[in-house]
Parts: sequence; structure tokens; C-alpha cells
Amino acid sequence: MKLRELFAELQDFYVLSLNVLVGTFRRPYYVRETVEQMDYAGAGSFFIVFLVSLFIGMALSLQISTELSSLGLKMYTGKIVGISIIREIGPVAVALSYAGRVGSGMTSELGSMVLGHQVDMIRVFGMDPVKKLVTPRVVSSTLMLPLLTVIGDAVALAGGYYISVFASHQSGSFYWSQIIDALTFDNILAGLAKPFLFGFLTAAISCHMGLSARGGARGLRRATTSAVVLSTVTIIITDFMLTRVLFFFMEMPA
Amino acid sequence: MIEFRDVSFSYNHGKVLQGISFSARFSEKIAILGPSGEGKTTILRLILGLLRPDSGRILIDGTDITDLPERELREFRTKFTIVFQEGALFDSLSVQENVVFCLRERRGMPEAEIEARARELLRRVGIEEAIGLMPEELSGGMQRRAAIARSLCSCEPVMMLYDEPTTGLDPAAADNICRLINDLSSGEPPERKGIIIVTHDVAAAVKVAERFLYLRAGRVVFDGDLSALKGTEDPGLREFIKGILK
Repeated sequence: MKLRELFAELQDFYVLSLNVLVGTFRRPYYVRETVEQMDYAGAGSFFIVFLVSLFIGMALSLQISTELSSLGLKMYTGKIVGISIIREIGPVAVALSYAGRVGSGMTSELGSMVLGHQVDMIRVFGMDPVKKLVTPRVVSSTLMLPLLTVIGDAVALAGGYYISVFASHQSGSFYWSQIIDALTFDNILAGLAKPFLFGFLTAAISCHMGLSARGGARGLRRATTSAVVLSTVTIIITDFMLTRVLFFFMEMPA
Repeated sequence: MIEFRDVSFSYNHGKVLQGISFSARFSEKIAILGPSGEGKTTILRLILGLLRPDSGRILIDGTDITDLPERELREFRTKFTIVFQEGALFDSLSVQENVVFCLRERRGMPEAEIEARARELLRRVGIEEAIGLMPEELSGGMQRRAAIARSLCSCEPVMMLYDEPTTGLDPAAADNICRLINDLSSGEPPERKGIIIVTHDVAAAVKVAERFLYLRAGRVVFDGDLSALKGTEDPGLREFIKGILK
């Protein structure tokens, strides 16, 4: 892609994001569409978030307890699992699964609506397709991803508990007391601030790619692939940047 | 009145329209003919303001819409409605929901009244029995009929635009669609609506239109009525319309 095209693409993305932000607080409000999208993005993603989080929690607990065991410190497994999941791994793992499932779905749905002239029809009927199609998706995504992250964190911690108690033979009550110690305001803030931004970015990128789809089935494939790749990379880069910013404001040493 | 003044348009792959000019009254029945890829559909999209020309001006009722912002264009779009080639029905909505899409969006209308309007429109296009079906359960011809019903439900258009309405249909279904288009464009205003039909199906065009424009190499090379069309000396156009010369 030429530099000029890249900047044009970025400009379009920023304009779309700005229109969504402004449009969220302006009439008409598409409440029914937003609720439908919340159901698709939130309730529909529950199973994949549950599975991914459970196995990540179990794998993390297994790795940490094995390493700590050689140092005679495996009773601290709960603390390390708790901090890792709540602050970092939970939000990122859930966001990546979400981008794969919901983001790709948004791109392919909007892309096929563009190619099938349905978006044109919305414009012909005198409506704003950004307001009608994009805003409900971005709003629902921004609200549902934090909720899914909380669920994912809880499931991952439960998975960690299972391994700690039944595979690593640690005390369950001590594991949970370590987790409760890890639930500080700073850690919760660090873990819950991220999904709001991840949800917004994933939906905005996916909708932008969907609305830019051109050139039949091949164009749709390209748009969907680009949306997932861009969302994934953006989530990981944003995660690092947010972590740095949060650490700075919480005065945590790097 | 629609006026195109020296309008040019290009896609990434090259120029499609090269300085075309024509005008059309809202009550006219016009067919834009030409082989695929000559920019026929592009003209419809330009009329609706869905695309912006590279150069030239487009006027609707005397107002230059070429550079109007999207918000102001919406007001002009309500004068028209379009039936796209494949119908462009919303596949997540039932036929009824598709037909009354515009009414629902405007809100404030009681649900019973909306349903009655959907039934009336579907009866008018001859597919009342399909009211509860989903678009994928309809045949090609029924999908176009549902799309026409939806277009009639939009903001009382004065002119209907049809993009290849008979393409891909069997002769009987194509004939039915032509009859329906004629029904909708006959009578007295406001019931009578002007039409612009874009097609390479000349037989269908002569059934519904009174004025014909022929596009070649991005230019309007013929503009006239049926007798002028049949009497053309242009060998390319004669070849194109040979089906109706027999």
C-alpha cells in the first residue's frame, strides 16, 4: 500500500471513529439494534471466552506452580496467577478471542451489505449508515468486552484454582486468599480500563474494514482478514501503551 | 428535472463516463441502454448522490447536488427510489420487515397500520403470500417484486430507478416485472411515477420506456424515442437492438 493510501485510510478511520463518538449522543438512538448487537457480541461470545479463559488459567497455573515448586515457593502461585490474569492476560486473551469471533463477523456482515447494495439502500432511504450500522456495533462492543473480561478473569482464576489444588496439591483457601490480595484497586483498574478501549477499537476497525470492502468475494475475504490482523496488532500495541500509561499514573516502578 | 452537464466519472480501473449531458423530467419513462461496463448503473448512483462525479455538474430540480454534503443530499434522495439488480433486500429481515423498513425507521406509526401497509404493497406487487418469508426463501422474481414494494413504501418518490430489473429472470418472470413497472408508472400523479431503467435487455426496455439513451465508450451516442431507435443508422446500436428489429 502506498503511503498516500495509508494516510487516506487512517483519515477515513479517524473520521468514522469521530462520527461514532459524536453519533452515540445524538438522535436517533438505535436501541433495538444496539441490544441485538450486545446479544450477538456478549452472550454469543460467552462460550468461546469461557473455554479460552479456562485453559489459559489452567496452563498459567501449571507453569507457575512448576517453576515456583523448584524454589519452594509454590504457595504463591495464586498471587502470581491472580495478578497476571487480572492485569494482563485476561483482558488481552479475551480481546483477541473477541476480535476473532465478533470483529470478523462485523466485517463480513457489513462488507456483504456494501457489496449487496444494502448500505446504498439505507442511504437512499435518507438514513446515515454509520449511525444505523456502526454506532450500535461500537457501543455494544465497548460495553460488552469489559463484561466478558470480568467473566473471563473469573473463569481463568477458577481454572488456576483447579490446577493448584488438584494437580499441584496446594491449599485452596490459601490460593483464594492470595487472589483476594491481588484484587487491589490498581490491579482492577489496570485490568478493566483496557477492555473498554479494546472493544471500541476492535469494533471501529472491523466496521471500517467492512464498509471499505470492494471487489466481490475476494474483496470481502481481504477485508475480513485485514480486520482481524489489524485488530489483533492494535490490541497488543495498545495493551503495551496503556500499561505504560497506567504504571506511570499509579507510580509503579517499571 | 434531472440535468447532467458534461459529467465524467472514473473508477480505479479507468474512466467510465466521459462528459455525458442529458436532462430528464420526473414524469418521463427512460431506458438507458448499453453493454455491460458502460457506466449505466453509475448514472443511477450519480443521480442519487451515492457517487460524486470527477467533473461536470448534476442538477436536481435546479439545485446543483454535485458538491452537496451528505446530510443535505438525503433530502434530494427522497425524490427517488431504486430497485437494485439483485433486490438488495436485508437478509436478516423478513419480507414484511423489509417492505416497511422505511416506515419503521420514521417511527410513530402504529404496528397494525404498518402491517396493513405491508400487506397492501405486497398485494400490489402480487406476492402477498410471501409476507412472512425470509428473502432467501424467495425466487429471483419474487425478490425483485419485494424490492419494488419496499421502494414504494419509501418517502413517496416521484421517480423510480431500476437497475437491470429483468436480468437473470426467466422470460415469464421478466415479463411480469415489466408489467408491474408499467402498472406503477401509469395513471395520474402522484400515483404515476417516472422511471429510469438501466438495462441491456432491449426487449424489456421497449416494454416500459418511451425514451431511450444508448451509452458507448462513456458517452451518450443516441437519445430518442422508439421509432428513432428502430430507425437508427448507427451499426453498433443496430447490432445491439437487433432483437427488436426482427
